[in-house]
Amino acid sequence: MRRVLLLALRDLRLEVRDRSGLLSLLVFFAVMLFVMALALGPEEAPLRRAAPGVLWVALAFMSTLLSSRAFALEVEEGTLDDLLLTPGGKEWIYLGKLLFQLLLLFPLSLLALLMAAGLFYLPLERGLPLLFTLFLGVLGYASVATFYAGLLARLRGREALLPLLLFSLVVPVVLASVRATAGLVEGLPVAEVADWWRLLLVFDVVYVTASALLFPVVLEG
Amino acid sequence: MLKAANPDRPDLLTWAFLALGLALLPVGLYVALSAPPDVNQGYLARIMYLHVPTAWLGYLAFFVTFLYSLLYLFRQDPRYDRVASASAEIGLVFMGLALVTGMLWARPTWGVYWTWEPRLTTTAILFAVYVGYFLLRGAIEDPELRRKAAAAVGVLGFINVPISYMSVKWWRSLHQTQSIDLTTGKIHMAPEMLQALLFNLLVFTLLYLGFVRFRGFLAALEARKQEA
Repeated sequence: MRRVLLLALRDLRLEVRDRSGLLSLLVFFAVMLFVMALALGPEEAPLRRAAPGVLWVALAFMSTLLSSRAFALEVEEGTLDDLLLTPGGKEWIYLGKLLFQLLLLFPLSLLALLMAAGLFYLPLERGLPLLFTLFLGVLGYASVATFYAGLLARLRGREALLPLLLFSLVVPVVLASVRATAGLVEGLPVAEVADWWRLLLVFDVVYVTASALLFPVVLEG
Repeated sequence: MLKAANPDRPDLLTWAFLALGLALLPVGLYVALSAPPDVNQGYLARIMYLHVPTAWLGYLAFFVTFLYSLLYLFRQDPRYDRVASASAEIGLVFMGLALVTGMLWARPTWGVYWTWEPRLTTTAILFAVYVGYFLLRGAIEDPELRRKAAAAVGVLGFINVPISYMSVKWWRSLHQTQSIDLTTGKIHMAPEMLQALLFNLLVFTLLYLGFVRFRGFLAALEARKQEA
Protein backbone atom coordinates (compact mmCIF):
# COMPACT_ATOMS: atom_id res chain seq x y z
CA MET A 1 0.00 0.00 0.00
CA ARG A 2 2.83 2.37 0.89
CA ARG A 3 4.57 1.54 -2.38
CA VAL A 4 1.44 2.33 -4.36
CA LEU A 5 1.20 5.73 -2.75
CA LEU A 6 4.91 6.45 -3.12
CA LEU A 7 4.94 5.57 -6.81
CA ALA A 8 1.83 7.64 -7.49
CA LEU A 9 3.17 10.64 -5.59
CA ARG A 10 6.56 10.44 -7.28
CA ASP A 11 4.95 10.43 -10.73
CA LEU A 12 2.60 13.20 -9.70
CA ARG A 13 5.51 15.35 -8.54
CA LEU A 14 7.34 14.82 -11.82
CA GLU A 15 4.23 15.68 -13.76
CA VAL A 16 3.42 18.83 -11.79
CA ARG A 17 7.00 20.09 -12.00
CA ASP A 18 6.76 19.86 -15.75
CA ARG A 19 3.62 21.93 -16.04
CA SER A 20 3.63 22.13 -19.84
CA GLY A 21 2.32 18.58 -20.23
CA LEU A 22 -0.77 19.14 -18.15
CA LEU A 23 -1.42 22.52 -19.68
CA SER A 24 -1.26 21.10 -23.19
CA LEU A 25 -3.82 18.45 -22.21
CA LEU A 26 -6.27 21.06 -20.97
CA VAL A 27 -5.77 23.24 -24.02
CA PHE A 28 -6.28 20.18 -26.21
CA PHE A 29 -9.55 19.55 -24.44
CA ALA A 30 -10.68 23.15 -24.85
CA VAL A 31 -9.84 23.18 -28.55
CA MET A 32 -11.80 19.97 -29.01
CA LEU A 33 -14.83 21.55 -27.35
CA PHE A 34 -14.53 24.60 -29.59
CA VAL A 35 -14.31 22.51 -32.73
CA MET A 36 -17.31 20.42 -31.69
CA ALA A 37 -19.32 23.49 -30.82
CA LEU A 38 -18.50 25.02 -34.19
CA ALA A 39 -19.49 21.82 -35.95
CA LEU A 40 -22.79 21.60 -34.09
CA GLY A 41 -23.85 25.17 -34.76
CA PRO A 42 -24.80 28.04 -32.50
CA GLU A 43 -28.33 27.07 -31.35
CA GLU A 44 -28.67 26.27 -27.70
CA ALA A 45 -30.89 23.16 -27.81
CA PRO A 46 -28.74 20.88 -30.02
CA LEU A 47 -25.62 21.95 -28.17
CA ARG A 48 -27.14 21.02 -24.85
CA ARG A 49 -28.34 17.69 -26.17
CA ALA A 50 -24.92 16.84 -27.55
CA ALA A 51 -23.05 18.01 -24.47
CA PRO A 52 -22.81 14.71 -22.50
CA GLY A 53 -21.56 12.85 -25.57
CA VAL A 54 -19.03 15.55 -26.44
CA LEU A 55 -17.81 15.71 -22.85
CA TRP A 56 -17.17 11.98 -22.55
CA VAL A 57 -15.62 11.49 -25.95
CA ALA A 58 -13.27 14.40 -25.32
CA LEU A 59 -12.45 12.94 -21.90
CA ALA A 60 -11.71 9.60 -23.52
CA PHE A 61 -9.21 11.25 -25.86
CA MET A 62 -7.65 13.12 -22.99
CA SER A 63 -7.26 10.02 -20.85
CA THR A 64 -5.63 8.16 -23.74
CA LEU A 65 -3.07 10.93 -24.11
CA LEU A 66 -2.49 10.91 -20.39
CA SER A 67 -2.15 7.15 -20.06
CA SER A 68 0.79 6.94 -22.40
CA ARG A 69 2.55 9.45 -20.13
CA ALA A 70 2.29 7.03 -17.23
CA PHE A 71 4.96 4.78 -18.65
CA ALA A 72 6.70 7.11 -21.10
CA LEU A 73 9.22 8.40 -18.55
CA GLU A 74 9.94 4.94 -17.17
CA VAL A 75 10.78 3.68 -20.64
CA GLU A 76 12.83 6.74 -21.60
CA GLU A 77 14.93 6.59 -18.47
CA GLY A 78 15.07 2.81 -18.47
CA THR A 79 13.65 2.63 -14.97
CA LEU A 80 10.87 0.18 -15.77
CA ASP A 81 13.23 -2.75 -15.24
CA ASP A 82 14.26 -1.32 -11.88
CA LEU A 83 10.63 -1.25 -10.83
CA LEU A 84 10.26 -4.86 -11.93
CA LEU A 85 13.32 -5.90 -9.92
CA THR A 86 11.70 -5.08 -6.59
CA PRO A 87 10.94 -8.18 -4.55
CA GLY A 88 7.37 -9.39 -3.98
CA GLY A 89 4.24 -9.09 -6.10
CA LYS A 90 4.10 -6.58 -8.92
CA GLU A 91 0.44 -5.57 -8.65
CA TRP A 92 1.48 -2.42 -6.85
CA ILE A 93 3.11 -1.02 -10.01
CA TYR A 94 -0.21 -1.15 -11.79
CA LEU A 95 -2.09 0.23 -8.80
CA GLY A 96 0.44 3.01 -8.33
CA LYS A 97 0.22 4.04 -11.94
CA LEU A 98 -3.55 3.84 -11.79
CA LEU A 99 -3.64 6.05 -8.71
CA PHE A 100 -1.33 8.52 -10.44
CA GLN A 101 -3.68 8.60 -13.44
CA LEU A 102 -6.70 9.15 -11.22
CA LEU A 103 -5.04 11.89 -9.19
CA LEU A 104 -4.35 13.76 -12.42
CA LEU A 105 -7.40 12.82 -14.42
CA PHE A 106 -10.01 13.57 -11.81
CA PRO A 107 -9.14 17.25 -11.27
CA LEU A 108 -8.60 17.64 -15.00
CA SER A 109 -11.97 16.12 -15.79
CA LEU A 110 -13.59 18.34 -13.20
CA LEU A 111 -12.19 21.36 -15.01
CA ALA A 112 -13.33 19.76 -18.25
CA LEU A 113 -16.85 19.37 -16.93
CA LEU A 114 -16.94 23.05 -15.98
CA MET A 115 -15.64 24.03 -19.40
CA ALA A 116 -18.16 21.83 -21.18
CA ALA A 117 -20.95 23.16 -18.98
CA GLY A 118 -20.00 26.72 -19.80
CA LEU A 119 -19.70 26.23 -23.52
CA PHE A 120 -22.60 23.84 -24.05
CA TYR A 121 -25.19 25.30 -21.69
CA LEU A 122 -25.18 22.34 -19.31
CA PRO A 123 -27.04 22.90 -16.04
CA LEU A 124 -24.92 21.91 -13.04
CA GLU A 125 -27.53 21.99 -10.31
CA ARG A 126 -27.11 18.33 -9.40
CA GLY A 127 -23.43 18.60 -8.72
CA LEU A 128 -22.95 15.62 -6.42
CA PRO A 129 -24.51 12.93 -8.66
CA LEU A 130 -22.62 14.43 -11.60
CA LEU A 131 -19.36 14.23 -9.68
CA PHE A 132 -20.10 10.62 -8.80
CA THR A 133 -20.70 9.78 -12.48
CA LEU A 134 -17.51 11.58 -13.39
CA PHE A 135 -15.53 9.57 -10.87
CA LEU A 136 -16.93 6.20 -11.93
CA GLY A 137 -16.42 6.93 -15.59
CA VAL A 138 -12.90 8.28 -15.19
CA LEU A 139 -11.95 5.26 -13.08
CA GLY A 140 -13.26 3.00 -15.83
CA TYR A 141 -11.16 4.73 -18.48
CA ALA A 142 -8.06 4.89 -16.36
CA SER A 143 -8.19 1.22 -15.33
CA VAL A 144 -8.06 -0.04 -18.92
CA ALA A 145 -5.84 2.75 -20.22
CA THR A 146 -3.16 2.19 -17.59
CA PHE A 147 -3.10 -1.53 -18.25
CA TYR A 148 -2.71 -1.15 -22.00
CA ALA A 149 -0.17 1.65 -21.66
CA GLY A 150 1.97 -0.69 -19.55
CA LEU A 151 1.48 -3.57 -21.95
CA LEU A 152 2.44 -1.54 -24.99
CA ALA A 153 5.07 0.63 -23.28
CA ARG A 154 8.03 -1.06 -24.91
CA LEU A 155 6.46 -1.33 -28.33
CA ARG A 156 7.07 0.71 -31.42
CA GLY A 157 3.93 2.16 -33.01
CA ARG A 158 2.08 2.21 -29.70
CA GLU A 159 0.72 5.70 -30.35
CA ALA A 160 -1.67 4.35 -32.96
CA LEU A 161 -2.31 0.99 -31.35
CA LEU A 162 -3.20 2.27 -27.90
CA PRO A 163 -6.32 4.30 -28.82
CA LEU A 164 -7.45 1.59 -31.18
CA LEU A 165 -7.42 -1.13 -28.55
CA LEU A 166 -8.55 1.17 -25.81
CA PHE A 167 -11.62 2.68 -27.42
CA SER A 168 -13.25 -0.58 -28.34
CA LEU A 169 -12.82 -1.76 -24.76
CA VAL A 170 -14.01 1.37 -22.97
CA VAL A 171 -17.12 1.88 -25.08
CA PRO A 172 -19.32 0.40 -22.35
CA VAL A 173 -17.93 3.08 -20.04
CA VAL A 174 -18.58 5.84 -22.57
CA LEU A 175 -22.08 4.55 -23.20
CA ALA A 176 -23.00 4.27 -19.54
CA SER A 177 -21.39 7.57 -18.55
CA VAL A 178 -23.05 9.47 -21.38
CA ARG A 179 -26.45 8.03 -20.53
CA ALA A 180 -26.01 8.74 -16.82
CA THR A 181 -24.86 12.30 -17.45
CA ALA A 182 -27.66 12.93 -19.93
CA GLY A 183 -30.18 11.53 -17.48
CA LEU A 184 -28.94 13.78 -14.68
CA VAL A 185 -28.93 16.85 -16.88
CA GLU A 186 -32.43 16.20 -18.18
CA GLY A 187 -33.62 15.88 -14.59
CA LEU A 188 -34.48 12.18 -14.44
CA PRO A 189 -34.88 10.77 -10.92
CA VAL A 190 -31.72 9.32 -9.43
CA ALA A 191 -33.29 5.83 -9.32
CA GLU A 192 -33.32 5.71 -13.11
CA VAL A 193 -29.74 6.87 -13.40
CA ALA A 194 -28.67 4.33 -10.78
CA ASP A 195 -28.85 1.51 -13.36
CA TRP A 196 -26.06 3.15 -15.32
CA TRP A 197 -24.05 3.69 -12.16
CA ARG A 198 -24.42 0.02 -11.36
CA LEU A 199 -23.08 -0.93 -14.78
CA LEU A 200 -20.17 1.48 -14.37
CA LEU A 201 -19.42 0.14 -10.92
CA VAL A 202 -19.42 -3.46 -12.11
CA PHE A 203 -17.18 -2.51 -15.01
CA ASP A 204 -14.75 -0.64 -12.75
CA VAL A 205 -14.48 -3.42 -10.20
CA VAL A 206 -14.04 -6.12 -12.84
CA TYR A 207 -11.45 -4.24 -14.85
CA VAL A 208 -9.39 -2.99 -11.93
CA THR A 209 -9.24 -6.48 -10.42
CA ALA A 210 -8.56 -8.24 -13.72
CA SER A 211 -5.92 -5.72 -14.75
CA ALA A 212 -4.14 -5.82 -11.40
CA LEU A 213 -4.01 -9.62 -11.57
CA LEU A 214 -2.92 -9.78 -15.20
CA PHE A 215 -0.42 -6.96 -15.09
CA PRO A 216 2.49 -8.80 -13.43
CA VAL A 217 2.07 -11.82 -15.72
CA VAL A 218 2.08 -9.67 -18.83
CA LEU A 219 4.88 -7.29 -17.90
CA GLU A 220 7.49 -9.81 -16.85
CA GLY A 221 9.00 -11.78 -19.63
CA MET B 1 -9.23 -29.30 -28.06
CA LEU B 2 -5.61 -28.91 -27.14
CA LYS B 3 -4.45 -32.10 -28.82
CA ALA B 4 -5.49 -30.65 -32.14
CA ALA B 5 -2.99 -27.84 -31.65
CA ASN B 6 0.05 -30.06 -32.15
CA PRO B 7 -0.46 -33.16 -34.31
CA ASP B 8 1.16 -34.12 -37.62
CA ARG B 9 -2.16 -34.14 -39.36
CA PRO B 10 -5.71 -33.33 -38.25
CA ASP B 11 -6.87 -36.21 -36.05
CA LEU B 12 -9.94 -38.36 -36.40
CA LEU B 13 -12.05 -36.30 -34.03
CA THR B 14 -11.45 -33.16 -36.09
CA TRP B 15 -12.55 -34.88 -39.27
CA ALA B 16 -15.53 -36.39 -37.46
CA PHE B 17 -16.70 -32.96 -36.24
CA LEU B 18 -16.22 -31.40 -39.66
CA ALA B 19 -17.90 -34.23 -41.55
CA LEU B 20 -20.83 -34.44 -39.16
CA GLY B 21 -21.29 -30.66 -39.17
CA LEU B 22 -21.15 -30.38 -42.95
CA ALA B 23 -23.42 -33.40 -43.44
CA LEU B 24 -26.03 -32.07 -41.04
CA LEU B 25 -25.95 -28.53 -42.41
CA PRO B 26 -28.43 -29.24 -45.27
CA VAL B 27 -30.65 -31.08 -42.79
CA GLY B 28 -30.58 -28.03 -40.55
CA LEU B 29 -31.47 -25.86 -43.51
CA TYR B 30 -34.38 -28.15 -44.35
CA VAL B 31 -35.66 -28.12 -40.79
CA ALA B 32 -35.36 -24.33 -40.69
CA LEU B 33 -37.21 -23.85 -43.97
CA SER B 34 -39.99 -26.25 -43.07
CA ALA B 35 -40.56 -24.83 -39.61
CA PRO B 36 -43.93 -23.13 -39.18
CA PRO B 37 -43.97 -19.40 -39.93
CA ASP B 38 -44.14 -16.95 -37.06
CA VAL B 39 -47.47 -15.41 -36.04
CA ASN B 40 -46.26 -11.84 -36.44
CA GLN B 41 -43.33 -12.05 -38.79
CA GLY B 42 -44.35 -14.87 -41.11
CA TYR B 43 -41.56 -16.49 -43.08
CA LEU B 44 -39.19 -13.72 -42.20
CA ALA B 45 -38.64 -15.28 -38.78
CA ARG B 46 -36.74 -18.12 -40.41
CA ILE B 47 -33.59 -16.07 -40.66
CA MET B 48 -33.46 -16.62 -36.92
CA TYR B 49 -32.34 -20.20 -37.51
CA LEU B 50 -29.18 -18.78 -39.02
CA HIS B 51 -28.87 -15.62 -36.95
CA VAL B 52 -29.10 -17.13 -33.48
CA PRO B 53 -26.59 -19.96 -34.10
CA THR B 54 -24.00 -17.60 -35.61
CA ALA B 55 -24.35 -15.18 -32.69
CA TRP B 56 -24.17 -18.07 -30.24
CA LEU B 57 -21.00 -19.31 -31.90
CA GLY B 58 -19.50 -15.84 -31.74
CA TYR B 59 -20.07 -15.79 -27.98
CA LEU B 60 -18.91 -19.37 -27.54
CA ALA B 61 -15.76 -18.79 -29.57
CA PHE B 62 -14.86 -15.69 -27.58
CA PHE B 63 -15.47 -17.61 -24.39
CA VAL B 64 -13.06 -20.31 -25.54
CA THR B 65 -10.56 -17.59 -26.42
CA PHE B 66 -10.98 -16.15 -22.93
CA LEU B 67 -10.47 -19.56 -21.32
CA TYR B 68 -7.39 -20.47 -23.32
CA SER B 69 -5.94 -16.97 -22.92
CA LEU B 70 -6.17 -17.40 -19.16
CA LEU B 71 -4.62 -20.85 -19.43
CA TYR B 72 -1.82 -19.42 -21.53
CA LEU B 73 -1.10 -16.68 -19.03
CA PHE B 74 -0.73 -19.18 -16.23
CA ARG B 75 0.99 -22.03 -18.05
CA GLN B 76 2.92 -20.15 -20.78
CA ASP B 77 2.43 -23.01 -23.24
CA PRO B 78 2.20 -21.79 -26.88
CA ARG B 79 -0.38 -24.48 -27.64
CA TYR B 80 -2.95 -22.67 -25.51
CA ASP B 81 -2.27 -19.49 -27.42
CA ARG B 82 -2.83 -21.26 -30.72
CA VAL B 83 -6.24 -22.50 -29.65
CA ALA B 84 -7.14 -19.04 -28.31
CA SER B 85 -6.28 -17.27 -31.55
CA ALA B 86 -7.90 -19.97 -33.70
CA SER B 87 -11.10 -19.58 -31.72
CA ALA B 88 -10.99 -15.79 -31.92
CA GLU B 89 -10.60 -15.98 -35.67
CA ILE B 90 -13.63 -18.23 -36.08
CA GLY B 91 -15.58 -16.18 -33.58
CA LEU B 92 -14.86 -13.06 -35.59
CA VAL B 93 -16.20 -14.69 -38.77
CA PHE B 94 -19.37 -15.91 -37.11
CA MET B 95 -19.94 -12.65 -35.25
CA GLY B 96 -19.66 -10.89 -38.60
CA LEU B 97 -22.23 -13.29 -40.04
CA ALA B 98 -24.53 -12.64 -37.09
CA LEU B 99 -24.26 -8.89 -37.72
CA VAL B 100 -24.99 -9.33 -41.43
CA THR B 101 -27.96 -11.67 -40.94
CA GLY B 102 -29.26 -9.34 -38.26
CA MET B 103 -29.09 -6.42 -40.67
CA LEU B 104 -30.85 -8.38 -43.39
CA TRP B 105 -33.63 -9.14 -40.95
CA ALA B 106 -33.80 -5.61 -39.57
CA ARG B 107 -34.41 -3.99 -42.96
CA PRO B 108 -37.88 -5.48 -43.58
CA THR B 109 -38.81 -5.60 -39.89
CA TRP B 110 -37.60 -2.31 -38.49
CA GLY B 111 -37.31 -0.51 -41.82
CA VAL B 112 -33.59 0.19 -41.51
CA TYR B 113 -30.44 -1.89 -41.79
CA TRP B 114 -28.83 -0.39 -38.76
CA THR B 115 -30.02 1.46 -35.73
CA TRP B 116 -27.95 2.52 -32.73
CA GLU B 117 -29.71 0.20 -30.40
CA PRO B 118 -27.74 -1.27 -27.43
CA ARG B 119 -27.63 -4.88 -28.61
CA LEU B 120 -26.42 -3.94 -32.06
CA THR B 121 -23.98 -1.40 -30.75
CA THR B 122 -22.46 -3.66 -28.11
CA THR B 123 -22.19 -6.46 -30.66
CA ALA B 124 -20.45 -4.22 -33.16
CA ILE B 125 -18.05 -3.13 -30.41
CA LEU B 126 -17.40 -6.74 -29.51
CA PHE B 127 -16.52 -7.31 -33.14
CA ALA B 128 -14.13 -4.34 -33.01
CA VAL B 129 -12.44 -5.68 -29.87
CA TYR B 130 -11.46 -8.86 -31.65
CA VAL B 131 -10.39 -6.98 -34.76
CA GLY B 132 -8.09 -5.14 -32.35
CA TYR B 133 -6.94 -8.52 -31.03
CA PHE B 134 -5.62 -9.45 -34.46
CA LEU B 135 -4.20 -5.99 -35.15
CA LEU B 136 -2.24 -6.33 -31.93
CA ARG B 137 -1.00 -9.76 -32.91
CA GLY B 138 0.13 -8.35 -36.22
CA ALA B 139 1.94 -5.42 -34.61
CA ILE B 140 4.22 -7.32 -32.22
CA GLU B 141 7.34 -9.03 -33.54
CA ASP B 142 8.53 -10.86 -30.45
CA PRO B 143 6.46 -14.09 -30.33
CA GLU B 144 6.36 -14.35 -26.56
CA LEU B 145 5.27 -10.77 -26.02
CA ARG B 146 2.72 -11.20 -28.80
CA ARG B 147 1.20 -14.22 -27.12
CA LYS B 148 1.06 -12.47 -23.76
CA ALA B 149 -0.42 -9.25 -25.11
CA ALA B 150 -2.99 -11.16 -27.16
CA ALA B 151 -3.92 -13.23 -24.14
CA ALA B 152 -4.45 -10.06 -22.11
CA VAL B 153 -6.80 -8.68 -24.76
CA GLY B 154 -8.52 -12.06 -24.97
CA VAL B 155 -9.23 -11.94 -21.24
CA LEU B 156 -10.17 -8.28 -20.88
CA GLY B 157 -12.17 -8.15 -24.11
CA PHE B 158 -14.39 -11.00 -23.04
CA ILE B 159 -16.02 -8.78 -20.42
CA ASN B 160 -17.97 -7.25 -23.29
CA VAL B 161 -19.67 -10.55 -24.07
CA PRO B 162 -21.95 -10.68 -21.02
CA ILE B 163 -22.65 -6.97 -21.47
CA SER B 164 -23.70 -7.63 -25.04
CA TYR B 165 -25.78 -10.64 -24.06
CA MET B 166 -27.54 -8.86 -21.22
CA SER B 167 -28.01 -5.59 -23.11
CA VAL B 168 -31.42 -6.70 -24.36
CA LYS B 169 -32.67 -7.14 -20.82
CA TRP B 170 -30.92 -4.17 -19.24
CA TRP B 171 -32.11 -1.65 -21.77
CA ARG B 172 -35.45 -3.26 -22.72
CA SER B 173 -34.76 -2.33 -26.27
CA LEU B 174 -35.99 -2.81 -29.80
CA HIS B 175 -34.19 -6.12 -30.23
CA GLN B 176 -36.07 -9.33 -29.46
CA THR B 177 -35.52 -10.54 -25.93
CA GLN B 178 -33.88 -13.92 -25.74
CA SER B 179 -36.16 -16.74 -26.84
CA ILE B 180 -34.17 -19.07 -24.64
CA ASP B 181 -33.24 -17.14 -21.55
CA LEU B 182 -30.06 -18.62 -20.11
CA THR B 183 -30.29 -16.61 -16.91
CA THR B 184 -33.71 -17.87 -15.85
CA GLY B 185 -34.09 -20.98 -18.00
CA LYS B 186 -37.44 -19.85 -19.39
CA ILE B 187 -38.30 -20.56 -23.01
CA HIS B 188 -40.65 -18.39 -25.02
CA MET B 189 -41.14 -20.22 -28.28
CA ALA B 190 -43.35 -22.72 -30.06
CA PRO B 191 -42.01 -26.30 -29.65
CA GLU B 192 -41.57 -26.93 -33.41
CA MET B 193 -39.58 -23.74 -33.82
CA LEU B 194 -37.55 -24.53 -30.74
CA GLN B 195 -36.63 -27.95 -32.07
CA ALA B 196 -35.49 -26.47 -35.37
CA LEU B 197 -33.45 -23.83 -33.59
CA LEU B 198 -31.83 -26.30 -31.22
CA PHE B 199 -30.96 -28.57 -34.12
CA ASN B 200 -29.28 -25.71 -35.95
CA LEU B 201 -27.44 -24.71 -32.80
CA LEU B 202 -26.09 -28.24 -32.53
CA VAL B 203 -25.01 -28.33 -36.18
CA PHE B 204 -23.18 -25.03 -35.91
CA THR B 205 -21.49 -26.04 -32.67
CA LEU B 206 -20.21 -29.22 -34.33
CA LEU B 207 -18.89 -27.14 -37.20
CA TYR B 208 -17.21 -24.79 -34.76
CA LEU B 209 -15.46 -27.64 -32.96
CA GLY B 210 -14.22 -28.98 -36.27
CA PHE B 211 -13.07 -25.56 -37.45
CA VAL B 212 -11.23 -24.74 -34.23
CA ARG B 213 -9.37 -28.03 -34.16
CA PHE B 214 -8.48 -27.71 -37.82
CA ARG B 215 -7.30 -24.12 -37.40
CA GLY B 216 -5.27 -25.13 -34.37
CA PHE B 217 -3.56 -27.76 -36.48
CA LEU B 218 -2.80 -25.20 -39.20
CA ALA B 219 -1.42 -22.80 -36.59
CA ALA B 220 0.85 -25.56 -35.28
CA LEU B 221 2.17 -26.14 -38.80
CA GLU B 222 2.81 -22.41 -39.23
CA ALA B 223 4.64 -22.22 -35.92
CA ARG B 224 6.81 -25.19 -36.83
CA LYS B 225 7.63 -23.64 -40.18
CA GLN B 226 8.68 -20.38 -38.54
CA GLU B 227 10.93 -22.17 -36.10
CA ALA B 228 12.62 -24.21 -38.83
